[in-house]
Amino acid sequence: MILLAVIHLGEQAYGVPISRELEVHRGRDVAVGSVYAALERLEGKGLVSSVLGDPTPERGGKAKRFFRITKEGLRQVHETRRVLTRLWQTLPQPKGGRA
Amino acid sequence: MRRTEPPPLAAWMLEHARPGDSDEALAGDLLEGFRAGRSEAWYWRQTLAACAVSWSQSLRGRAPLLVFAVLWSMLAPAWEVFLDGVESAPNLVRIWPYFGPVWFIPALAGWLVLNSIFLWAGILVFILAHGSFLGVLRGRKLRRAFLMASLILLPAYGLTFVWGNLYWYSFLADAKLAATPLGQITDLRLLADVMRLPYFIALVCALWNAIPRSPRTPQMLLADSTPIETSTPSDAPLVPPDPYTAKRFFGFMVAAGLVNAMIAGRLLCQLPDSHTPTLSALIIRATFYVAVGAIGGVIGAFAYWKSPSSLYGEHPPIPFPLFALACASGWIWVPSMMLFWEQISAATALVATIGATLLTIGLRKATWFVFASAQQTSRSLEPEQRELFADTLYRAPQEADGFLIAICLYAAGCALFDHSNLTAGALFALSAFLFAWKRTSPRVDRFDSNYEYKRAALRFAITAIPAVLITVWALLDGVAHRNRVDAMNAVLAAGDESSSRNHAQSKNNSSANGIGGYESIILWPVPEKKEIVAPLPPQTSLLAPGTAKPLVIRFDGAYWYFQPPGKRPGPEAHMGHGTPLAIDIQSNNFVPLVMEAHQTLGSSIPVARCREIQIGILNRNNRPGTINLAVLLRDSAAPTLPALYLGQQPVVTSQPEHFAVKASPASETLRFPIPLPAKIRKFDEVTVLFLPDEESYQVGPKIAIQEFQLLPR
Repeated sequence: MILLAVIHLGEQAYGVPISRELEVHRGRDVAVGSVYAALERLEGKGLVSSVLGDPTPERGGKAKRFFRITKEGLRQVHETRRVLTRLWQTLPQPKGGRA
Repeated sequence: MRRTEPPPLAAWMLEHARPGDSDEALAGDLLEGFRAGRSEAWYWRQTLAACAVSWSQSLRGRAPLLVFAVLWSMLAPAWEVFLDGVESAPNLVRIWPYFGPVWFIPALAGWLVLNSIFLWAGILVFILAHGSFLGVLRGRKLRRAFLMASLILLPAYGLTFVWGNLYWYSFLADAKLAATPLGQITDLRLLADVMRLPYFIALVCALWNAIPRSPRTPQMLLADSTPIETSTPSDAPLVPPDPYTAKRFFGFMVAAGLVNAMIAGRLLCQLPDSHTPTLSALIIRATFYVAVGAIGGVIGAFAYWKSPSSLYGEHPPIPFPLFALACASGWIWVPSMMLFWEQISAATALVATIGATLLTIGLRKATWFVFASAQQTSRSLEPEQRELFADTLYRAPQEADGFLIAICLYAAGCALFDHSNLTAGALFALSAFLFAWKRTSPRVDRFDSNYEYKRAALRFAITAIPAVLITVWALLDGVAHRNRVDAMNAVLAAGDESSSRNHAQSKNNSSANGIGGYESIILWPVPEKKEIVAPLPPQTSLLAPGTAKPLVIRFDGAYWYFQPPGKRPGPEAHMGHGTPLAIDIQSNNFVPLVMEAHQTLGSSIPVARCREIQIGILNRNNRPGTINLAVLLRDSAAPTLPALYLGQQPVVTSQPEHFAVKASPASETLRFPIPLPAKIRKFDEVTVLFLPDEESYQVGPKIAIQEFQLLPR
């Protein structure tokens, strides 16, 4: 989900929008610290890369950390979608069908 | 009006209450969210969650360090007891006066150095045990870790000392350390834990920033590097096996050989009949036994290696002769291990450890190519076996072997303490196997069967010599042990039948030495040289009708300390002089301590003439809790008759409601009415049983018997 959020936000993928994106889609509060922890793990695996932006006054002079997906990250996302799709297709139809 | 600045305490926590460097981006994000309209409660939640996540990550990354620090600090009580001995050495004590009023400076420096040695040794062990840190912890970082350990220990020890003194009378006043080093290491009570605390803190602080948070394991590093190319030897299998199957196969073969060698050792390896065998005869016998171990192991493994159910059938990973040569270096130690085990000797564990280590080294070197091939095969499959979700791809590197080794070592120590030598040997052998398997690496980068054959044969030849010598030692020890047992049996047989029966029973029952290292203790009162103790007055005064004066008998018997299921001190009981008021005697295992006082009267007294026995005691027991005294009267002339039980009476000065710390012994008299009719007609022995409550059953009560007063009926 975090990788998809980073792809969706493109150049504006940093902590606040990523968290907001996750909150919107999950429908519940998200801890920004947990998002950073997950992003750091993904960065350690080479699936995303990060770069510090310029400090801004509305952030108390603190810089933003922008994240971008890497080629390997993109490949993983595609692979995950492919596996998920295949798994969904192999699921049997529930008895009784649709209501 | 809404605030534009977040709660200051939460902002401070975000900045300073998280491990590692402060995260500017996270702080900026939270500030941006807050200024965009989020509530203070949201900011607090985010701050606390960020702190929790950071600490969780940090602790998880340092789990090996924390576990190691706990295990190493377990040794601290034993180390402190050792240091107490060093510091109180007479030569050292005489040095301090030379420094005059500043004697405490060299004393403190010496203390710090001695304790730092313990921490430095721990740091070195930790670094050596984690090979991946060797490259990281060098030079400045290593020096910093050593320095930090010493610098942190001093304040940590000081604070613990102050805390311990503040709560001394609440928790620690009656706390004692175990008597033996092993008992001190395994002691989990409060005093031992308090002693461990500063060492644990110092170790963790010293290594906290010195090691990388999530060290990459060698496997991970290899996975990123180019696969190693190895030439295919003529003997190597065409299709490399997977690691699990290969490990299962070799494990089964080694176990089959080991079991067969043990059976052969048990059946064929016996002590020589002669009581004084010659050395040459022992060497010949030991050489034969070593051969029995090797041949037994080879036959056992071969039977399964060639069986139709073998995992690899006609295409084993390595040739059987190479496997047999490699493993025989370990199997040859089995006979000596079995001989030591029969003697209930702790050397069983030592020999098992040596054998397991040598077997593992040989096996690892002979089979490295199999596992290297298998590892490459499994690596090539990795992309297809990845997790479904990218978020869960990361796995924290974990090596369970270190923890398993530590657990095995602790369990083996406990088993050794409990005289379960074979269990201890198995656990030590497992630890040695795991350690040697992880630490052994091949010397060459390609598999050469001729070279491996030569190496395995040379290793076997070299290890056979010490194996023969150890087997000679086992035989010598066994003969000496058997001679001692024979001598003991001869002495027992010379006694009367009942006596020998009792002695044999107590000998069997008192194999454990759980009272300060003694099998049991008999404590005689210190003889008072100046005072002439009058002989027991003739009991005629009691027999005479109308006598009302009580008969006073001063206690001059022995105190017995022993452990169940024994019913009396064993033949190897320690004899000493002293009074229970001044001696600390306690059980250092989990078996209760039984304390009895025995008074022999010299001549019989009719039960019918005694109305009551009053026992004068001195109580200096400073452990709060109930203690009862029970009295038994016996007639030694009629051993078949049961003893007359006079019931139990509580020691009032030890009862919780009357308890007070006693600087001097409290005098007290307990009364025991003698019932009529009784099963015995007369008695000449008085036995007093000390019965403390459950919380104090491992400690001998500090209560001394002063005298008995027999009141005429």
